[in-house]
Amino acid sequence: MKHGIFSFLAAAIASLGLVNAASAADTAELRVLTHSSFAVPKPLLAQFEKEAGVKLRITKAGDAGEMLNKLILTRAKPIADVVYGIDNALAPKALAAEVLDAYNGPAATRTAVAPLPAPLVPVDYGYVTVNYDKAWFAKSGMALPKSLEELTQPAYARLLVVQNPATSSPGHAFLLATVGALGEEKAFDWWARMRSGGLKVAKGWSEAYYTEFSRNGGKYPLVVSYAASPAAELFYAKDKPTEPPTGSLALAGGVFRQVEGVALVKGGSQRAAAQKFVEFMRSVPVQQQMQTEMWMYPAEAGVARADVMKFAPEPAAFDAPAEKDLAARGADWVARWTRVVLK
Amino acid sequence: MRQGAAPLALAGLPLAFLLVVLVAPAVRLVAEGWPTDGHSLQALWAPWQDDYLRWRMVWSFLQALLTCAAALVLGLPLAWVLARLEFRGRSLVLRALMLPFVVPTLVAALGVLTLMGPHGVLVQLGGPDLQGTAWLLLYGNLFFNLCVVVRAGTDALEQVSASRLAAARTLGASPWRAFWRVEWPAIAPWLMSALCLVFLYCFAGFGLALVLGGQRYATVEVEIYTLVAHELQLGQAGVLALWMLMLTALVAWGYAAIERQLATPGRADRQPRQRPQGAGHWLLLVVALGVFMLICALPLVAIAWKAIISGAFLSSGEHAAWRVLLEEDTRMALWNTLRFSFSAVVLATVLGLAHALAARRSLALRTLVFLPFLVSPVMVAFGLLLLYPSWTGNALLLVCAYALLAYPFVAKSVASALDSMPLYYLQAARSLGASPWRAFWRVTLPLLAPALRRGVAFAAATAVGEFAVSLFLSRPEWATLTTLIYQHLGRPGAANLDAAMVLACLLMALTMGTFALIEWRGSREPDHA
Repeated sequence: MKHGIFSFLAAAIASLGLVNAASAADTAELRVLTHSSFAVPKPLLAQFEKEAGVKLRITKAGDAGEMLNKLILTRAKPIADVVYGIDNALAPKALAAEVLDAYNGPAATRTAVAPLPAPLVPVDYGYVTVNYDKAWFAKSGMALPKSLEELTQPAYARLLVVQNPATSSPGHAFLLATVGALGEEKAFDWWARMRSGGLKVAKGWSEAYYTEFSRNGGKYPLVVSYAASPAAELFYAKDKPTEPPTGSLALAGGVFRQVEGVALVKGGSQRAAAQKFVEFMRSVPVQQQMQTEMWMYPAEAGVARADVMKFAPEPAAFDAPAEKDLAARGADWVARWTRVVLK
Repeated sequence: MRQGAAPLALAGLPLAFLLVVLVAPAVRLVAEGWPTDGHSLQALWAPWQDDYLRWRMVWSFLQALLTCAAALVLGLPLAWVLARLEFRGRSLVLRALMLPFVVPTLVAALGVLTLMGPHGVLVQLGGPDLQGTAWLLLYGNLFFNLCVVVRAGTDALEQVSASRLAAARTLGASPWRAFWRVEWPAIAPWLMSALCLVFLYCFAGFGLALVLGGQRYATVEVEIYTLVAHELQLGQAGVLALWMLMLTALVAWGYAAIERQLATPGRADRQPRQRPQGAGHWLLLVVALGVFMLICALPLVAIAWKAIISGAFLSSGEHAAWRVLLEEDTRMALWNTLRFSFSAVVLATVLGLAHALAARRSLALRTLVFLPFLVSPVMVAFGLLLLYPSWTGNALLLVCAYALLAYPFVAKSVASALDSMPLYYLQAARSLGASPWRAFWRVTLPLLAPALRRGVAFAAATAVGEFAVSLFLSRPEWATLTTLIYQHLGRPGAANLDAAMVLACLLMALTMGTFALIEWRGSREPDHA
């Protein structure tokens, strides 16, 4: 028993060594802040490190909205040099908080397929849409809804699950699409009628898709997700079917184009490397390979689409409120949504 | 007098830790958002004037209370069976009880829905679909918390003096009467201690219960989380967190006060476990194991079952789901899970032991053990960011955060054991000339061993689980198994779902292995104690 305490102390010291081994570094570090869905293949990141002569320190800070708040909260002493994942829905908040620095390099001046207000440099984009479970609709014999208005009718009651806009990016995006298309008053009237029709609210995308969506153990055959989700369903299917088990609906007023960007953090260090990272995110290899990692379309013009993306056709139309309305009223809309749908 | 100085010195370690990792960050965050225009008093009352928030607070309280009552009624028979009867698979049940702690919320929810969801077994048997009801929320609470009550009850029953029990029976008391007059008074403090933890856990509930019960049953903690993380309304969040702190601190203080009075030094003549005899024993065994299966085991079995029927382990093709186990990411996550949990558990053990030993005679210190459960974790997480921005990428801070949430388990468990520890052993050792340190090392610590193991097992489960993972900043190279599971569940597609299920099975197997290691010597100990 006597040597017990020594082995215990040795274990304690060793364990601190265990966790600290990772933080020792002699090359310069570039601190990258991202949301938790960031996924660029490791070989590409390693190549960047070699070419830029820095070590990447990527920090995942939760959902995009949560990440931006962490950036705003620490602006006096920034926790990153460059940030990826701020989208057009969050851009007004980021600009108002003045946490980003201007960048005028090639990536910022080249025309992108989908734009973002400067100083954000667009990297990728996708569409938040309503997805449906093909098997459920085939079995029930019901026709697919053709408009947001139809969703409020009794036949479609208790079929849709959405994410809470206060806690989820796609949920927030879907709310913005309805406000953009219908105007604030009519949009919240629609939400109120959806509520009486048994609209289901989940905390985030994963909860909605994996516990409420009828394809995965829930009972709601309609779920707010992305236009590219059916392509991902096919990509990750086990028995290689010829078409996806789900589809996306481009309902007028129910489509939001989400454009994600990268930007320099105000007060950050390693400026040269940070600028290289912005260029890197718009480089062709990243733009190609991120498609089947993050399931977004490339913002760089002329980049080849991944083969499976042909199952993710881009909706012809999408809606969003004007930027100045979003900046002025964005927070109120979320609060009003909570009052109308949850309280 | 030396006895008076030692606890103070011991208290310094956990108190300093709490100050640096918990109090300072939380205060810093509240200060950041505090209204400066003189409306602070008005803001303080605002939550009670808002119907929605008032209901949130009342509901948080109610559901926690209901869960405690249900956990006591369902957990006590199970604890008695595990402490008094010897049957095959007993130690397996004891360990499996704690698995709900480590399974990621979303995976657990999928397991529960397999049983009680719209396509679940219950519906197929003609029962109701429980998804989105308050019943499922309470079920979710029990799934996570039953183990806390059962493990404490089992340990407590093993401390009950066998000779007193025998005396009662010899004097003609029925087993039922003997239970009420001899066993119940002895185990009540332990159970109260466990129920207090359950209450605090449910009150600040965040995970499974919400996925299952839906947004309607959100607790105040969810409001705080939304206000801080997504809306950056630090003022409002601070006010709510303050009310939460006051309400929970009242519970913790009240408990700590009665705990001291309930504490009775036990005796070391333990009641040996016996094979079930007679219809009464068998009935109790069946009922208790039924409760265990229904509340704790079935959702986990459902997860394993889903992993198997998905063809995960049977098919051998290139796309078989079990292949996720061979991926480099999985190996890295496994290593991270091991090293982070191990570091956190070591730290939690040191802190917990020191706090429990120091708190023996101090009501304030006893109450402070609960502090990590009283302060809203999201406030702590954002406060740490604000107070120590340059430490955000440091693994040490992450380990401290893990340990913060894990160490009350060690402290509570050890404190209960200290309260019921027989005094005469220590007195004998001291009068035979042993130094205080030697007496502690040779007498106190061995007597504490079973409780320490239980606390460490819970601490390990907390560290492996998702509680801390989701709140604090993470780096890809620190991804644990839980993070990896959530990465898979962040994308559509059957292969991702299967991978998540297989990884959850790996996590459960790893945890069972860890528990076996922690309690390996414990399982043999009671025989010769």
